[in-house]
Amino acid sequence: MRHEMHRSDQPCRERITRRRMLHVGGSGLLAGLSLPRLMELEALASTGEQAKAQACIFLFLEGGPSTIDMWDMKPEAPIEIRGPFRPIASSVPGTFVGEHCPLSARIAHKFTILRSHSHTDNGHSTGYHYLMTGYKPDFADGETRVPNNVLYPSIGSIVSRELGRRTSVPPYINLPHPMRGGGPGFYGSRFAPFVIESDPVQPDFEVKDLRLVEGVSRERLDRRRRMLDAFEQRDTGRPASGRAEAMATYYEKAHTLITSPEARKAFDIQAESESTRARYGHTSLGQCALLARRLVQGGCRFVGIDHSGWDSHFTIFPSLEKDMLPHADRAFSALVEDLDERGMLDSTLVVMMGEMGRTPRVNAAAGRDHWSMAQSVIFAGGGVKPGQVLGATDKQAAYPVTDPVSIQDILRTLFQQLGIDTTKTYLTPLGRPVPIVNGGRIIPGLV
Amino acid sequence: MVQAVAVLAFAIRAQAEIRVSPAAVVLEGPESSQQLLAWSRPIDGRVRDATRSVQYEAADPRVASVDADGLVLPLSEGKTEISIRSAEGAARVPVEVIGMVRPKPIVFDLQVIPTLTKAGCNAGGCHGKAEGQNGFKLSVFGSNSHADWDALVKEGRGRRLFPAAPERSLLLVKATAEMPHGGGQRIDAGSLGYRRLRRWIAEGARFDGGGASPIAGIEVEPAQQILLAGETQQLRVTAVDAAGARRCVTVEADYESNAATIADVTRRGLIQAAEIPGEAAILVRYLGHVAVCRVTIPRPGVQFVRPPEANFIDRLAWDKLQRLGIKPSDLAGDAVFLRRAHLDVIGTLPSVEEAREFLADASADKRARLIDRLLARDEYADYWAMRFSDLLRVDRDRVTAPGAIATTRWLHRQFAENRSFDEFARQVVTAQGSVAGDGPAAFYRVLDTPDALARSISQLFLGVRIECAQCHHHPSERWGQDDYYALAGFFTGVTRKNLPTGQMAIFSRVGSDLPHPRDGRIVAARALGAAPAEFSNVPDRRTVLADWMTAPDNPFFAAAISNRLWAHYFGRGLVEPIDDLRATNPATNEPLLSALADHLREVRFDLKAFTRTLMNSRLYQLSSQSDESNASDEQNFSHAAWKALPAEVLLDAIVEVAQSPEKFDGWPLGYRAIQIWDNRMPSYFFQIFGRPVRASVCECERSNEPSISQALHLMNSPEISAKLRDRRGRVRRLADSALTPSEIVDELCLAALSRFPDDRERTVLLSAFDNGADRRAAVEDALWTLVNSKEFLYNH
Repeated sequence: MRHEMHRSDQPCRERITRRRMLHVGGSGLLAGLSLPRLMELEALASTGEQAKAQACIFLFLEGGPSTIDMWDMKPEAPIEIRGPFRPIASSVPGTFVGEHCPLSARIAHKFTILRSHSHTDNGHSTGYHYLMTGYKPDFADGETRVPNNVLYPSIGSIVSRELGRRTSVPPYINLPHPMRGGGPGFYGSRFAPFVIESDPVQPDFEVKDLRLVEGVSRERLDRRRRMLDAFEQRDTGRPASGRAEAMATYYEKAHTLITSPEARKAFDIQAESESTRARYGHTSLGQCALLARRLVQGGCRFVGIDHSGWDSHFTIFPSLEKDMLPHADRAFSALVEDLDERGMLDSTLVVMMGEMGRTPRVNAAAGRDHWSMAQSVIFAGGGVKPGQVLGATDKQAAYPVTDPVSIQDILRTLFQQLGIDTTKTYLTPLGRPVPIVNGGRIIPGLV
Repeated sequence: MVQAVAVLAFAIRAQAEIRVSPAAVVLEGPESSQQLLAWSRPIDGRVRDATRSVQYEAADPRVASVDADGLVLPLSEGKTEISIRSAEGAARVPVEVIGMVRPKPIVFDLQVIPTLTKAGCNAGGCHGKAEGQNGFKLSVFGSNSHADWDALVKEGRGRRLFPAAPERSLLLVKATAEMPHGGGQRIDAGSLGYRRLRRWIAEGARFDGGGASPIAGIEVEPAQQILLAGETQQLRVTAVDAAGARRCVTVEADYESNAATIADVTRRGLIQAAEIPGEAAILVRYLGHVAVCRVTIPRPGVQFVRPPEANFIDRLAWDKLQRLGIKPSDLAGDAVFLRRAHLDVIGTLPSVEEAREFLADASADKRARLIDRLLARDEYADYWAMRFSDLLRVDRDRVTAPGAIATTRWLHRQFAENRSFDEFARQVVTAQGSVAGDGPAAFYRVLDTPDALARSISQLFLGVRIECAQCHHHPSERWGQDDYYALAGFFTGVTRKNLPTGQMAIFSRVGSDLPHPRDGRIVAARALGAAPAEFSNVPDRRTVLADWMTAPDNPFFAAAISNRLWAHYFGRGLVEPIDDLRATNPATNEPLLSALADHLREVRFDLKAFTRTLMNSRLYQLSSQSDESNASDEQNFSHAAWKALPAEVLLDAIVEVAQSPEKFDGWPLGYRAIQIWDNRMPSYFFQIFGRPVRASVCECERSNEPSISQALHLMNSPEISAKLRDRRGRVRRLADSALTPSEIVDELCLAALSRFPDDRERTVLLSAFDNGADRRAAVEDALWTLVNSKEFLYNH
């Protein structure tokens, strides 16, 4: 039924590209010639629009960060709202941030705080999916298994599809484990993230199975692969099932990863000096941020870091003060400064947010609950005008008092900065058109 | 002469009739409405919807109006007639309008709630959320009408309703977006819903006006229809009350398609078929009742040739494929069948000797005999004990190692002795004794509340997911909170006691009925859709549930396990997800599912007999090769599926092919992965290939999604590499033997793929031996190639 996916009302460029890509996909992706061809086609698929950013590092604070204690302090509010933390001055006159983000405060002129992000999905898995895709999920919160064809592709998968690979480093990477809302949805596993299932803060961190096996030289691996390609050509012209076909695309990516020196270099966090590693902090988020910088240097387009532990319904303040805020503050500020010093900040967009904010009113268990109505989002680099505070919330940081900024606004702005044509539409396997971003506008004043 | 009469009769009939339903209309009350359906004359045996192509006219436009879509509205009391005309003929429908002068008062839960539901006010994303929306909270889908009435009438400082000037009520000005409303405009001013809400407010916003009786069910017309691409079909929905009175609720019901890309449906109940052949179920909801219209869009112009039928499965499968115009693939070859049958039944590859023997066997019944042999093998019990350990949540961390071992051993014996599945289920449901003893009592250690047990047992054995009903009425099912707590009431007697040995024992005491969480009312224990249970002289309430579950007339039990087994052998359930059976999630082939359930009852829940029937069908033995006509078919089984090997089976297969055993930590050498009861045993291989952690009774926990990590591991890991070059392994043995390269390649292919290579493949594999390559390296490379091929990695 494949041919029915291409409706005549699709834009010409899109129609040709998809058909060609499918053709490649169907006729044995393991063939040595197919990779350059594929890259060429993927290059065709992207638009050539002027990109401000080459890559994006997405720090996802999973569980919902308490941005009222970080970026949107309400010192005038009653104690049960403002909490125990005080605001401190930042490098930008008039901009105050939470006292446990001192390192970020010193570089406030290098990033921008958006205080008026707001949406209405208060669930973790649904909010995560909504945030990463811009589409309301078709499943209930907490449900883990959903058929692919009702799922939408995540930001990273879209970036991967639109921009393709720059190098042998996969264009879309998740660390230190998969992002729950970060899947490829109906785009299919070809655009799934490469997941580094290992935490770079661990001393024995290594991306498994990347180093050539003892006794197998590069030549021998290539020879084996040529044999495998030749062996499998038996199936030429015969469409295999989706899953089996997907496996073939993974083989191709896996082979490229193993054989390329630049890929192994990108993953080699041990090559960083101890002072650099310490600067980011010896924490999961810190070392993930550092590895993300290496991955971007190596050519990755979108690094999604899933940092969990922000869902503090109980006694939130000690946990924020001792762990969450110092870790995030150090990791974020080090990343921005490091990128800046290396001249990479202009071409690397850094975004830090979670699936929701937290309730302004501290609950009976001294925690804060889910609050999607208001969250502050941090943007740096990638063409973002720095040193600003955009939007505002009410006296309790409960609702935006300026125009609320939706997740679609954030996605559209992010895609624009990466030079992705946001007017594109892809069809689901059953033929339903799904635009890359579901509405939204460029966030006023951000870029 | 005879001919002339016949022609004349035909002409008269054609002239006179177009079929319209209903035959007569009674409209009661100002907000009533009646959808008319008009039908074309049959063409090729198919009647098409003409509702929007005929002309309607009301004889007395003061009494009733009718629009171009066939919707009749009341205007004043009296009688009139609607005339319907088209090129094909004409019809008349009498209309009577009553209850306009002194309309019956509006009843909140029967008339206001559906209006709010239709407008989406009480949806889970809006005011139906647990915390409501901007201070206004409704129960989700109107499941708690008393709370909703309070919210509208009493809360919000009484601003929400304004009986003195109903149209100024916040409810109406917000819903019509006359005043800014976060949810936008939900109701058109002047619409039926609007007028009903306004009249309800004007009448004093009473909860129970006594003006309508609860409905007993809804009917949808048509219940099934064949559409061609681009065609439409209007639905008509009728609510029937306990006394049998009928009223049209077409404009009030909610509609949803389970495959909108095949056929979508509008808020008005108009189905629109897209360009893609296939099937869709249109779900209709009204006041907690559901009905389904099935739509088939056949592939045009297919000449369907029915293949032979081995048993009833084939007959029913071909029926469906014929209707859709999809050709089934050819029969799979012997080698493919051999490998598929082994992997499906015993999770184990055929050995080289078995493959040689089967391929050489020329007897006609060799496939049937192979099925019998496989079902008698020891690995059958290993494999199925493993699969059911997932479902019974044999998680070492929850039930302790002795508990996990005991349950695994018990499971193994059930499958080895081919325990009938009704008896199996009874033993699980009524399990007692030590968790480490001989039995499935550990299940009650993992699931330790009546709630959790009701949910899990229902999903596991009945294929009914009632967890939604814990908090509110199931949005697409008939189950409400009462049903949920009534089912949980069977498990209230289960008692857990810590033994001096450190183990736990499960006892049964006299249980008690549970209170409803909302109002504390005691809900009598009863099974789903059954009468309240009778517990006199019953020491263990659970036995009553087990009796009901395994009774021949139980509507869920046989279908649920049939679907589960079907999904295992065919790669996809007739219903998906496989444990979510409900009217609103119909099987892709309902007659087949019900025939399978009947068959299972006929063979008295003998799983081996049932499996034999599945595997002897031609459908099971079809090739996975597809052609243009059926490549896109994923739900009608026109070709065999490519099934990912479960993590344990894949590891065993690699071990078997390389003849290099895996040493599992803490296990004697030689144990196979499918025999390992310890789900927590750390294993990178199991982790990346999706071994479940047994956190739920859902089969869906076992992931079969491929990943780049899997590819990396298979092609470039020290672990797999070590297997290929094992000093005592197959590669070394073959390399050091006197066999020719060609003979070696034969054996490798037989081991990995259960077949001989064809000429081209042989040339490819022999190239490893070219140019005086080291023989060991050459054999290793050839086997590497086979192990990394799709054909090896999938069961197809």
